Amino acid sequence: MAKRVRAYVKLQIPAGKATPAPPIGPALGQHGVAIMNFCKEYNERTSAMAGQIVPVVITVYEDRSFTFVTKTPPAADLLRRAAGIDKGSANPRTTKVAQVSGDQIREIAELKLKDLNAVDLAGAIKQVEGTARSMGIEVAG
Amino acid sequence: MTAPDAEDAPASSGEGWLELAVEVDAEAVEPVTELFARHGYNEGVVIEEPFTQDGDGDNLAVDSSRPVAVRTFVAAADVGDETLEAIRSALWHLGRLRRVGELTVTPRREEDWANAWKAHYRPVRVGRRVVVRPPWQVYEPGAGEVVVELDPGMAFGTGTHPSTRLGMSGMEDELATRPGATVFDVGTGSGVLAIAALLLGAGRVDAVDIEPVAVRSTRENAARNGVADRLRVEVGSAGSDGPFPSAYDVVVANIIARVLVDLAPGVAAAVAPGGSLVLSGIIESREPAVRRAYEAEGLGFVRRDQIDDWVGLVYRRAAG
Repeated sequence: MAKRVRAYVKLQIPAGKATPAPPIGPALGQHGVAIMNFCKEYNERTSAMAGQIVPVVITVYEDRSFTFVTKTPPAADLLRRAAGIDKGSANPRTTKVAQVSGDQIREIAELKLKDLNAVDLAGAIKQVEGTARSMGIEVAG
Repeated sequence: MTAPDAEDAPASSGEGWLELAVEVDAEAVEPVTELFARHGYNEGVVIEEPFTQDGDGDNLAVDSSRPVAVRTFVAAADVGDETLEAIRSALWHLGRLRRVGELTVTPRREEDWANAWKAHYRPVRVGRRVVVRPPWQVYEPGAGEVVVELDPGMAFGTGTHPSTRLGMSGMEDELATRPGATVFDVGTGSGVLAIAALLLGAGRVDAVDIEPVAVRSTRENAARNGVADRLRVEVGSAGSDGPFPSAYDVVVANIIARVLVDLAPGVAAAVAPGGSLVLSGIIESREPAVRRAYEAEGLGFVRRDQIDDWVGLVYRRAAG
């Protein structure tokens, strides 16, 4: 029998820099997780990835024990890097701030495939394109 | 050891936080997360997906038919109305492409979360004889048991982590044959090992941590256990330029592998001839690097212990 899950929380935080401050403190404290135990584990496991955003999915069980897995950097982060911009458009429908190539989208989709809920690469590409549009990034071609 | 930058958190100076939250459909999670990361403290964003599961916890699955909650936190003092307006405006524009709910802004205080998890924290046996008890719980010790009363606050070391348990049992074994020993605790965190050492019969303990919050926490916990007069704790590290450049009968360091490797010369130098070194906080894949570093310092390997994928190591320096 599997343990009952109390919460399923994804945190997007910089690698190696977990602290008991927000967002981790409130996000995990409300579910009864010993906050510093999570911080220590996360920092240990991501210390080699400093400078990147490393999302982590935490499963909190009814007994307040927890497990977590780290994920690939977010598509928005990868798109920003690919497009060479600091941030997405404030008004993505009318104001386009950058352009990326179909090949760049494909590369990101390949990297992200295992973390996206897409059935295949074509589905992953569509999702990454959708994220790009929401950020005011045009896809060439 | 405590986490980096914990002291920079505005909450520690008594100021409040704002929680910004919005419910969106799955397609809008990435852009909203990107927006929140730009404004949130430590670039942090929390995403809670609704899920379904069977009564026995089996078949956990994300429920994509319901909206996803995306949240971030900002220091109230740092964020003006114009920032909130900019976020609302960006969400409104996004709402024309995807389903995006209303932004909610809720004041939050550190106490809201700093204490919430404590309700689930029970007395726990950490080593062979040592039981750690939170101040808000009662525990009747059995024969031979030593009880450490510990309020971990925001410093590491509540006794439930495998690395604390490995450090504790390693230290208990080394102290068993050395009544009145001098002990040095590097990266003391909540002070759990330092205080336990004194309750287990050590004569005197010196402890260091690079985080002021840990030093404060250790002092409070030492006073709570009536051992403050035999425990010195200062901000700093091991080595000749640290606050305690002496040699000890037993040295304990429960940190993480990378730091243990960096500190190897200073930590090893603190081990007196005939003394022991207990290392913990080592994830299994990094054990070889730690062993190389300490064997290079002329210490003799005594034993290793493992809980899950965490490893504890014990070394000894040959008697002079």
